This record gives sequence, structure tokens and C-alpha cells, in this order.
Amino acid sequence: MKTKKQFKYFSIFNHEKEQDYLREMHKQGWKFIKISGLGVYHFEECEPYDVVYQLDYNQEGLSHRAEYVQMFNDCGWEYIQDYVGYSYFRKPASEMNGDEEIFCDDASRVAMMERVFKGRLIPLVVLFTLCLLPQFIINLVSLHNYGIAILIGFVIGLYLGCFAAFGIKYAKYKNKTKK
Amino acid sequence: MDQHIKKVYMPMTETAFYILFCLQKPNHGYGIVQMVENMTDGAIRLAPGTMYGSLSKMEKDGVIRFVREEDKRKIYEITDLGLEILNIELNRIKRLYKITQEEI
Repeated sequence: MKTKKQFKYFSIFNHEKEQDYLREMHKQGWKFIKISGLGVYHFEECEPYDVVYQLDYNQEGLSHRAEYVQMFNDCGWEYIQDYVGYSYFRKPASEMNGDEEIFCDDASRVAMMERVFKGRLIPLVVLFTLCLLPQFIINLVSLHNYGIAILIGFVIGLYLGCFAAFGIKYAKYKNKTKK
Repeated sequence: MDQHIKKVYMPMTETAFYILFCLQKPNHGYGIVQMVENMTDGAIRLAPGTMYGSLSKMEKDGVIRFVREEDKRKIYEITDLGLEILNIELNRIKRLYKITQEEI
């Protein structure tokens, strides 16, 4: 069987794009097998088919994996794997009545973002303020290592972009649930 | 009553309402999904991510309780606090309905 690997980077709040990517690959006849390393997607050749992919982030679910996966299986979702706290699921579009997702209201979408926030963003913020920021200032002001300062500055930019993206998305869902 | 309970359940989401309503008899998550699908003639299909998150949150809030496990499915039932807020919600919905039956 033909297989292929693709390296793709999705920031931690871009799981929707990642879902679309996996669905698109399956439509083109490449079935998702697993993700490994820093974002290497493994595929296997298959019949092109419309299959919906979904990601959940639920650490409590992972610590009770058997019943967590059972709930998804009962609802027709195949469990594929876990990767850095995310669980990957898929279900063929032909088995759905209309559009189906693993979340059916905005309140639970917000709840998932809050879990991502606690599990992934807070550690990043801590790393950012305790490590990156002081390093940046030391290199720039005391050591005059401008090369390193630029490099760290670039990473800081990426982080800030990431925080902003999260904020915007969170506000969007939060507003919807208030209506 | 606790401020948190008031904030989250008055009024509550449709998902929370169906969960509380169905758990007047002990049931598991997928059992609730099937009950709701039948009660609404397929109009509402609760999704597993929403169900899993809601059930564990509602258990923590003390409005439902874990009864036992059967074939890797957790069975829950409503608590006294859950019944109390379900009745408050039912009265809210009844009042809304009654208002719509009156002339403006």
C-alpha cells in the first residue's frame, strides 16, 4: 500500500484548519493514519471519500479513555489517536444527517477553548514571561547580542500572534453564547 | 443557592436541559442522545464532545451524580439540586409559553 508523509504546522488554536486539511486529504484519496513528531502527518492511499475529521481537547477524557472513546464510538465517531492532548476522531459524511460535529452548541465550543487555554496557553504564557522576555531584554540591553535578540524577538512575535488569535476566536464564540 | 449554579443554569442551555430532563431516570450519555433524538423526531442530535464535557461539568456542579459503570458507559442520575433547578427552568419555559398565548 502506498503511503506518504507531510509536514504541516498548525498553531494550537487552528484545529479547525487542521480538521479541514485532513478532510481534504481523505477526499483526494489519502487516509490519515497518524501524526508524529512536531507535526508529521502520515497518510495511506485509499478510495477518495468525504470523511469529517474532528479534534477534541479534554484531559479528563484522556484519563478515563475507555469510557471517553466509547461515547464517541456510540455516536459513530472513530477514534484515531491522541497527540499533545488533542484527540482525533473521524466519521464519514454519508453516515450523518446533515452536518455533524463533535460539538453541538457554542457553550461547549467555548468550554473546549477554555480547556486548551488552561492546558496549553497558560504554560506558554509562563514560559514567555519567565524565559523568553528576560532573555530578549538581557541580550538586547546588556549583552548587545543583536542577532540573538532578533531571533528571540521573532519568536516573541509568533507568540503574541498566537495569543491574539486565541483572544479573537474566544471572544467570537463567547459573544455568540451571550445572544 | 450558589451564585455559580444561578449563573450557569438560570437559564440553562438546551443541552443541559435535556440532560437533566432525561436523568430523572438513570441513564448513560449515549442513552440520553438516543432519547433526545426520539423525543424530538430527530431534530436534535446531541454530539459526543458536548455530552462528555457537559456530563463531567454537571457532575462537578452537583446537579447530577454518578451511579455505576456498565460496559464502559457511565450511568448518571439527577440530584435533588438538579431537580430543583430543572423545575425552576420548567416554570420559566411555561411562563414564556403562557405569555405567547396571550394577546399583545
